[in-house]
Amino acid sequence: MRHPSEGTLRRLLDEPVGVADPDRLHVADCATCLSGLAAASQDATAAGTALELPPLGEIDVDAAWHRLSQAEADDDARPEVVPLPARRRWRGALRSPAVAAVGAVALVAGAGAAAAADWLQVFRTERIEAVTITQADLVQLPDLTAYGTVEVVEEPEVRVVADAATAQETSGLELLEVDDLPRGVDDRSTVSVGSQLRAEFTFSAEQAEKAAAAAGEALPPPPAGLDGSRFRLVAGPGIAEVWSAESGLPGLVVARAVAPTAFSSGVPFDTARDYLLSLPGMPAEVARQLRGYSADGTTLPLPVPAGEATSTETEVDGAPATLLRSRDGAFTAVVWVEEGVVTVVAGSLSADEVLSVARGLR
Amino acid sequence: MELVGHRGGLPTAPPSLDGPGGVTTPVPREGAGAVPTPTGRGAVRPDLEQVFRSAYPRVVAVAARVLGSRDEAEDVAQEVFLAFGRSTVPAGEALGWLSVAAAHTSLNSLRTGRRRATREHAVGGDTVAPDVADAVLALDERRRVRAALARLPRRQAVALVLRHSGLSYAEVAAALDLSPGSVGTTVRRAETALRKELTRHASSE
Repeated sequence: MRHPSEGTLRRLLDEPVGVADPDRLHVADCATCLSGLAAASQDATAAGTALELPPLGEIDVDAAWHRLSQAEADDDARPEVVPLPARRRWRGALRSPAVAAVGAVALVAGAGAAAAADWLQVFRTERIEAVTITQADLVQLPDLTAYGTVEVVEEPEVRVVADAATAQETSGLELLEVDDLPRGVDDRSTVSVGSQLRAEFTFSAEQAEKAAAAAGEALPPPPAGLDGSRFRLVAGPGIAEVWSAESGLPGLVVARAVAPTAFSSGVPFDTARDYLLSLPGMPAEVARQLRGYSADGTTLPLPVPAGEATSTETEVDGAPATLLRSRDGAFTAVVWVEEGVVTVVAGSLSADEVLSVARGLR
Repeated sequence: MELVGHRGGLPTAPPSLDGPGGVTTPVPREGAGAVPTPTGRGAVRPDLEQVFRSAYPRVVAVAARVLGSRDEAEDVAQEVFLAFGRSTVPAGEALGWLSVAAAHTSLNSLRTGRRRATREHAVGGDTVAPDVADAVLALDERRRVRAALARLPRRQAVALVLRHSGLSYAEVAAALDLSPGSVGTTVRRAETALRKELTRHASSE
């Protein structure tokens, strides 16, 4: 019988009844699994200690409720339409440079497709999303650690800059001007610049073999020259300009970035990608992400969350573009690629408004 | 290095795994029409107080595990409940949503805190009086853990915090939109990564 996965071993520590009988019986008699279990137990204990709850004393729920009610009351007492000062912390956070940075990071890290998907999340879901989204959420490479080593050579640094000229100088990208802001969008904007993201992945046949074995299957023979091959994944730089809506939330973002590129030191990237996708145990999510590296130089894959958004083909000044709309109508984005630069116009706007901004960029 | 360029979308984590959004199933409010306005102020949900009173201590605890401070944890809990109060998260999913939101918000605040801590360390590291050395060591340990947490992949960090906050595998799976089978794998990887981060950090000092 194949060995249960490391996840199953981990669960055995916490919820043995959640693990199937054959797996439990196997582990009890298997030296390899018992050793894995011991290692898991050690790490779990260490993590438990590291994450130990500090002394909290008695939590005064009544006082906390009073504080929340007060914050709610302050919020309700505010006039509805007046542009808001950043009077509450979480609402203030939505107006912070961090939110502006999201636009730039999203583009640097994820180009149009992912940027749109993540902005979609910002606008589609509850407001806290804009607060919780950070660089770490957005800058994610596929988790290839089971198949080799991944090293982030250069983390994208995102910062707010004073003006368009600085943005242009830093990124080498031109910040396009919006000729006519949609109604309800505040005319003050924040400009952010994100530097390049570079990561390097080195394929290891040995590690891939282990991953395959953990999935209970044999590793298909790797193409010649793949073992030890290095792949460099590069994205960005990018720039973003974010305008608030009158409510204080992000209303419009225009972002541009150099489209991501993969460089290979040995076998062609496509060969490696197709091989990786064929490996047993490759999580569907990683496969989907890798498939995102398109080879033809003009097509930008758009992973639109099923059931959450619709995408339709359109055009912006002659370039083929994709229009994304969340099903609840809260968010619209248009994405296109021209000469290796991805541009996204997105906001809590109608399709007509977004397209009008996109086509009016100068 | 032979440069063979291929352009395409560099994907990020799927939105459903990035935050409370992944567990949120917005239900259109009655009378709000088909297009709710995300920028407008909705009514505060009627079950807020009930959910608050039952879940507040647990939400504070999730944040406190990350932040190591009760005051900061309570600030985070307030933010999270304010957002929840305007949300349409089904009551049955409230605890999972609140826990994920608390973990995310706390991890976010670590990032700014980490920068501050580095600066403080650089400025005042040598001026500590010996009689508070133990306290400083404990603080330093906590700071190391927090810095390590901030460096973990976000999904792993959230799964780790939720699991160690006592959520079951089924609850973590539902909250992060993972399959129950992969919760163990994610938590295991997080624990390995945390150990490596702490070791790496310690050996580089």
